[in-house]
Amino acid sequence: MKIFLCLLALPALLLPLACFFYIVVQAWPALNWQLIAGSETVGNLFGDVSSAGHGLWSQISGSLLMMALACLLAAPIALSIALFHALWATPSQKRMLITILQILQGIPPIVYGLCGLILLVHLLHWGISLAAGGVILGVVILPLLSSNAIHALERIPVEQTESAKALGLTSVAIIMRVWLPAAWPGMLTGLLLAMARALSETAPILFTATVFSGITWPDSIFSPVTSLQTHIFYLAQEGSNAHAVDMAWASATVLLVLVVFFSLSARFLRRYEESV
Amino acid sequence: MIKESIFLMAAMCVSISAQAVERISAVGSTTVLPVMAQAAEAYHAMHPDLTVTVSGGGSGVGIASIIQGTAQLGMASRETSPEEQAKLDGHVDNIVIASDAVAVVVSKAVYESGIQQLSIAQIAAIYRGKIRNWKELGGLDKRILVIDKEASRGTRHVFAKAVLGSSHARAEGASIISGSNNEEQMIVSRSDNAIGMLSNAWLNDEVRGVDVLVDGKAIAPTIEHVRDGSYPIARGLHIFLPHNATAETKDFVQFLLSKQGQAIVKHVGYLPVR
Amino acid sequence: MLILLWFLVDASWPFWHDFGISQLWASEWYPYESLYGLLPAIIGTAWAMLIAMFIAVPCGLAAAIVSSEILPITWQSWMRLGMEMLAGIPSVVYGLIGLWVLLPWLQNTFDLLTGHNLLAAGMILSLMILPTMMVMSQDALRLIPIEQREAAMNMGMNWSQRLLRVLLPQAWPGIRSGILLGLGRSLGETMAVMLVVGSLDRVPQPIYNILEPAQTLTSRIGREMGEAAFGSMHFSALMACGLVLAVAAICLSLLAQRKSKGFVL
Repeated sequence: MKIFLCLLALPALLLPLACFFYIVVQAWPALNWQLIAGSETVGNLFGDVSSAGHGLWSQISGSLLMMALACLLAAPIALSIALFHALWATPSQKRMLITILQILQGIPPIVYGLCGLILLVHLLHWGISLAAGGVILGVVILPLLSSNAIHALERIPVEQTESAKALGLTSVAIIMRVWLPAAWPGMLTGLLLAMARALSETAPILFTATVFSGITWPDSIFSPVTSLQTHIFYLAQEGSNAHAVDMAWASATVLLVLVVFFSLSARFLRRYEESV
Repeated sequence: MIKESIFLMAAMCVSISAQAVERISAVGSTTVLPVMAQAAEAYHAMHPDLTVTVSGGGSGVGIASIIQGTAQLGMASRETSPEEQAKLDGHVDNIVIASDAVAVVVSKAVYESGIQQLSIAQIAAIYRGKIRNWKELGGLDKRILVIDKEASRGTRHVFAKAVLGSSHARAEGASIISGSNNEEQMIVSRSDNAIGMLSNAWLNDEVRGVDVLVDGKAIAPTIEHVRDGSYPIARGLHIFLPHNATAETKDFVQFLLSKQGQAIVKHVGYLPVR
Repeated sequence: MLILLWFLVDASWPFWHDFGISQLWASEWYPYESLYGLLPAIIGTAWAMLIAMFIAVPCGLAAAIVSSEILPITWQSWMRLGMEMLAGIPSVVYGLIGLWVLLPWLQNTFDLLTGHNLLAAGMILSLMILPTMMVMSQDALRLIPIEQREAAMNMGMNWSQRLLRVLLPQAWPGIRSGILLGLGRSLGETMAVMLVVGSLDRVPQPIYNILEPAQTLTSRIGREMGEAAFGSMHFSALMACGLVLAVAAICLSLLAQRKSKGFVL
């Protein structure tokens, strides 16, 4: 029985390492400083129809900008929802809120993209824009952030709140002086995880926020951007061009590095919070 | 983290007010896309106040975007349909900037096993599922991997019209459907039994274009044969310019038609119009 | 959430109105001939999910058991870390791996016309939900107090019996959450599937043939979203696909909630 289980578990044990290893190895030829700083010129190196340039700077900045916008939009709302949950919601409202958040978390992101396409790109005439991408991604990460914030607040020992009330602090003061300081590691963890998530979503932004080329730095919030995720997608369709393949793996590595950075930070933060 | 992002946004807002950059978007055919992308860059180097963003999606998307007004320039690798033309008439110009051939491509292994020319009838039979194995045509004993394209792609329209009779005809024998030219090129180059449809600029060592038999003569999918009109599956590459476009946009289109622009067309592999 | 639903229903209403709900099992999708059968995509999605679960559930569960019962503590944390890293890989990157690693392998092993098929989609999906499965199962197993294990030992059970009779039943709620979460993820995954599944809108012939290119709901939306003119029937049909996806996701989520009694993520 044990042997059987071990055999079955072997793929799961080996795969993480294998995947990472493979990705980095494949990316090796293209991993150099030119990756970030190099020019984005499309195709003139080979005079052919490839879409692989050399530099990824505009893609990286595009992804990061959208992530930043999404977090800026979602974080305050998530915080308000959590505060509502902690302060004013009745038990049945609390249950319903959590249920709704769970459901929203489960909806495929592309559905959010579709709705964003109708509402933001067409009806509101924002066009394909950073703003639309930011809002859609914000909606995608909102349930995650809210659940996280709610749980962070719930973890505060009740005695702290009680003593604060006994001391005569107003609600606002309780929030500012007692809750936030106690809960901030948990909330920041959630924020970091949400950032990692926002960096990896591709489908919703493919037709609502990104273009193929032409943008180095968006000149307004209503301008389209390029992003790492969609760039990888375009490159994925060019497997016959060795350079494109290298660039794709390299872009994947860069994206991974960013995502891993946020995830690891979240993990360390969680450890720190648990040890406090 | 939050502070940094606020700073980023502020910097961006500042940079907005610092320059009055015009930005137009060009959307549509992936066949025209390489020309547009390279021309946009060259033009931007000369006129930094105009940025052209380029996206793919296919000819269908290009024409639809112009009709809806979501893009400033549309790219298509096929003629407009009567319905589309009705919506464009009067306020959008249809400008041809290049021509190319839609090559019927096969994998290298197929080409080297002897299949180097096919008649329209044979190609149609393959795509309708009547011929399923390369050996029926004198090649290796392998099943044919028939690569069809998404129905809205310009390349497919042209191909279907010339080979199957109507631009929206079905290909019952299709094994797989690909999207952009790049994707199809990848699939063909990675297999040893594929047939597909690609612009001639995408031909390379792994992806070979077969000659098309017309009246007994084998016509290769080359620029010369497009120029003299003998290749049956050829088309113009179109740009759609709305009448109410800005002066910069019109200037850019003129650039595409100028000597420099047409040199880019040639560089990519298409036939220039001048 | 209600806003979302209203949107989807409203946008796809023209479609439903003109064609009726029977389109759910109409089998031809060819927009140019005004045929909008959803059946091929629905079957494709279902198959991909099934295959993914079939691979990921046993492996994930086994990995969790091995990790929490057999391996020493340090190895456990490393494995956990590895799994969390795996969970963080964006879906496009999985698409890359699928496209350039898995597909040629499939093509060669099964001597297929092309590696683009439902099996490939299912395998890539299983790779994506494996971490979820393992982490949730592991958490569930860890929650079982150590006294249970000792009591089982004292009763004379051997290792397998203890596992099957004591530990697994107790951990079942957590494991079930993992399964439902995994189902939800594989339902909604777009990018990796889009690159790998072949996008051929045909019901597999015969219906259990997973080695042929096919289509899933998410892949179809992803591919045709850019080209459907806003407001056209094609667009409404795509919205209808989105609606089906959303409804399925909501049902899965409600199911998970009802059973798990508020399992904390």
